[in-house]
Amino acid sequence: MLEDTIVAISTPVGWGGLGVVRLSGKRSLPVAKKIFRPKKKGAKIPGRRPLLGNLFDFEQKEFFEEAFLTWHPQPHTYTREDMVEISCHGSPVILEQVVRLAIKAGARHAHPGEFTLRAYLNGRIDILQAEAVNDLIRAVSYKQAKISFHQLEGRLSGQISSLRDQVLHLLSQIEARIEFPEERLRTSTERTARTLENLIQSIIKLIDSYDLGKALTEGITLAITGLANVGKSTLFNSLLEKDRAIVTPHPGTTRDYLSEKMEFKDSVFTLIDMAGLGKPLHPVEKEGIKRGKRLASQADGILLLLDISRKESSEDFRLIDMFKDKKTILLFNKIDLPQKMNTEEVKNRAKSISTLEISALKGTNLGKLKATIHALFIPDLEKDQDIIFHMREKLILEEILAFLVEGQHLLEQGYSEEVYVEEFRKTIPLIGRLTGEIRSDDIINDIFNRFCVGK
Amino acid sequence: MKFVDEYDVIVIGAGHAGCEAAYATSTMGMKTCLITIHLETIAQMSCNPAIGGLAKGHLVREIDALGGIMGLLADETGIHFRLLNRSRGGAVQAPRAQSDKALYRLTMKSWLEDVPNLTLFQGIVTEILIKNKKIQGIATLEGNRLLAKAVILTPGTFLNGLIHIGLHSYPAGRANEPASLELAENLKKIGLRTFRLKTGTPMRLDKHTIEWDKFTPQPGDKDPVAFSFRTQKKLENKILCYIGYTTPKTHKIIGKYLDKSPLFSGKITGIGPRYCPSIEDKVVKFPHHQRHQFFLEPEGLETAETYVNGISSSLPLEAQKEILKSIPGLDQAKILRPAYGIEYDAVVPTQLCPTLETQAIQNLFLAGQINGTSGYEEAAAQGLMAGINAALKIKKKKPFTLRRDEAYIGVLIDDLITKGVEEPYRLFTSRAEYRLLLRIDNPDQRLTPYGYRLGLISEKDYESFQNKQKKVQKVKNLLQKEKIKTESRETLSLWEFVKKPEVKLQNVIEYKKFQVNLSDEEMRHVESEIKYEGYLKKQEKEIARIRKIDSVKIPENTDFRKIPGLTREVAEKLEKVRPRSIGEAKKIPGMTPAATVNLHIFLRIQQRKGPHPEECSTWNIKDS
Repeated sequence: MLEDTIVAISTPVGWGGLGVVRLSGKRSLPVAKKIFRPKKKGAKIPGRRPLLGNLFDFEQKEFFEEAFLTWHPQPHTYTREDMVEISCHGSPVILEQVVRLAIKAGARHAHPGEFTLRAYLNGRIDILQAEAVNDLIRAVSYKQAKISFHQLEGRLSGQISSLRDQVLHLLSQIEARIEFPEERLRTSTERTARTLENLIQSIIKLIDSYDLGKALTEGITLAITGLANVGKSTLFNSLLEKDRAIVTPHPGTTRDYLSEKMEFKDSVFTLIDMAGLGKPLHPVEKEGIKRGKRLASQADGILLLLDISRKESSEDFRLIDMFKDKKTILLFNKIDLPQKMNTEEVKNRAKSISTLEISALKGTNLGKLKATIHALFIPDLEKDQDIIFHMREKLILEEILAFLVEGQHLLEQGYSEEVYVEEFRKTIPLIGRLTGEIRSDDIINDIFNRFCVGK
Repeated sequence: MKFVDEYDVIVIGAGHAGCEAAYATSTMGMKTCLITIHLETIAQMSCNPAIGGLAKGHLVREIDALGGIMGLLADETGIHFRLLNRSRGGAVQAPRAQSDKALYRLTMKSWLEDVPNLTLFQGIVTEILIKNKKIQGIATLEGNRLLAKAVILTPGTFLNGLIHIGLHSYPAGRANEPASLELAENLKKIGLRTFRLKTGTPMRLDKHTIEWDKFTPQPGDKDPVAFSFRTQKKLENKILCYIGYTTPKTHKIIGKYLDKSPLFSGKITGIGPRYCPSIEDKVVKFPHHQRHQFFLEPEGLETAETYVNGISSSLPLEAQKEILKSIPGLDQAKILRPAYGIEYDAVVPTQLCPTLETQAIQNLFLAGQINGTSGYEEAAAQGLMAGINAALKIKKKKPFTLRRDEAYIGVLIDDLITKGVEEPYRLFTSRAEYRLLLRIDNPDQRLTPYGYRLGLISEKDYESFQNKQKKVQKVKNLLQKEKIKTESRETLSLWEFVKKPEVKLQNVIEYKKFQVNLSDEEMRHVESEIKYEGYLKKQEKEIARIRKIDSVKIPENTDFRKIPGLTREVAEKLEKVRPRSIGEAKKIPGMTPAATVNLHIFLRIQQRKGPHPEECSTWNIKDS
């Protein structure tokens, strides 16, 4: 697999005036020589310095573009292999032609992320950096680009790498008591319980930060939902500040769904307007409702609208129940009309859900709504709080958390140390996948550094 | 070249490793010669008068279950017995016993004298004779040459031994015994890489000069626990140990003498063990501690010598005297033997095979401190394994090695040969991945069938092992069948009921008035099996999974240099050793877990199969 020479366009498609095609692998230079001719006849290709020349279509036997070629001999390259960069005009047509010719000349199309994979496999970067590169390429917001850049610099310090120390400390306390029962050690079960609780809290914070990490990379999807004719499309249009959805006084106007991006502060939200979730009057509407339910269940959050100019109904309560486990904001709409709904009664039924009174038509409280959305989905982070962006990290942290919580449970129930420490020992390989490996010697070292043991 | 005698196996050095090795080879039918500088110091306990403790007690029980002798001897000569960690669970309990030092050494000598096929011989070995990279025999200082098919080298601290007291130093293997200088040179010549290690021993005091009432007595257990399942005799505590503390004055004195410490002045270059720190180490590293604990341990019944466990030092004698003056109760104490530090040569253990045979010289086996370990028990365990494998090799039989999930012995040897050592290596229970499985209550279950097949466990002992297994199984069945109603009115089997942390098996059996005739030992065994059942079952699965990965074959034509992500060093080692499976590759010194994963991925890709989804969870690169 690593024997192949790979090629890909390395600038995003359709961007700007300059385009770059990259090759990596043993045959990078021979492949490039087939499609590139220096301006100065017979000029030698220097290492690490751009050389001006023309791109040559060896099938049609014609030059088609002016370009710079830079040869980066291994191992001091991004992938630690021989690499060639061809920079030319950013037109997708030209770039794709270069790639096509390179493939004809013996290269292979790179799989997504393969340059980074090679950099990782050849020991150039570690796994966290590898993921950061990927993020940098795909970053949708400025905030994330900044964080990705810091990770790339190898600065993923903060909580994630301190987790290793915390786990190590937890283990060494317990192991010291087990291994040196005859010594007077300055450690106790109570102290272990405290260390454990702190560790659990910092992991929970990291896990929680994933929502933000995801929001920053992928954007947040919000489904606007409610019964028919409660003003969903009106709210959709007002939030977007344009007439995107058709609004009529007739229930069931929106039969399919619409989605649009809404920007607010440093973040992007995707709003989805959909059919009302009431009783369908028409087969097409029925299909719309089915789709709407599915969309709502897949969305990151729900804006649930109630019409306060009507009396509350069992249908309203059914919807509240349906979405109470999701991140939901309950909106009492149409406050510009006389109120018939007992909002206190409804709020009672929806205790854990945040609520807001608005008029989608008049635009009342929409600023407040945006702020509420932002606060709910893009929480303000404590200073220096690390953010995790990857499902992989989140899953590992959740696994670690589960073991720690189980161990805590056993500790509290009065199980012996060698039993509950088994749970903590299970986190060792997991920590290794997040940060550096923990070896049994590391635990023993920590014991000797912290405790005066041995006779 | 004339040879005066011919043996199957020659064991050089009669310490804890050497005795165990010689006992094993001769019992396995090998004509064996155990050669030592001094016949009087066979099985000498050079340092503390105790055997066992956490992990070490585990080792002794494993040695015993395989048919070795350390456990029997410790029981026979023990004068103070304790089971450590009684307040914790069975997996981390371990026996520790103090022996009468003189009796220990005399009894070992008389036992070995009675072993068929075994000859004891006094002499100083100066050369290991080799022909075509294979053992031929040894030569002694007196010019004698002995022929052997295999040699087991267990020289302890004698190789280039250098004793330090203060800034004074002199070559010695132990106080007043000659160091092995020629042999040390000879080892380098035959191509073994060596390095320097350091250890030390505290002063011995005259018991008549100690004010004993100033210290807190520490009696042995009321019901002493034996090391060996084969020990029949009733064990008795015959002495008391005492606990005392240093004072801030002690620490000031130590501070004053630091410039005369060979450790802190840089005179000692060897690396010492951190779990046996000298008192000057403790004072320097933990300056805020007001006092340090130590133990006063009588060295035997017929001697006045008292071991000061916790005040090991290489400070000059005048400093040692001043230190004693600063401790109430020891201010009048007379030193019979001063504390000293000792540096010695050890062989880089990554040059060994899993059988403890050297990679460089065929049929040359190393065991004990020479492999970078410390401790009588670690030495004995290696001696036993080296002995077994030397005998098997001569008999042209398959080698005998233990896996990390089978025994602490497996953990010990695997750590040595794959990771090497930086300081004298001591075993800890936390080094074992499967601590709840490797307990002191089941070594017979794990190892005695091996010992029997190797010929180290007698028919009679094997039979009593099988009877015990049957008896225990009956009780287990009973506990699973019988029900109990708990306070919360749920009906549970007794088995499930004992899983509760506050329930003791003993109490349940008494409450139910069962007529089961379990010894305390067997009771502890059944209780552990119940309490840890959940973990043991999960670990069994994990072990099976790892064994499956270990059995993945590496095709003969594999070019290890083409495996991505391997360092050149690892790739070269793989090229040289050419392992046939992942399990074999893992045994190669310097092979890291990451390298193993890369190798495994590579083999998977070669086979044009995707990674197995279950294994994926341990792989780093799956989603990059």
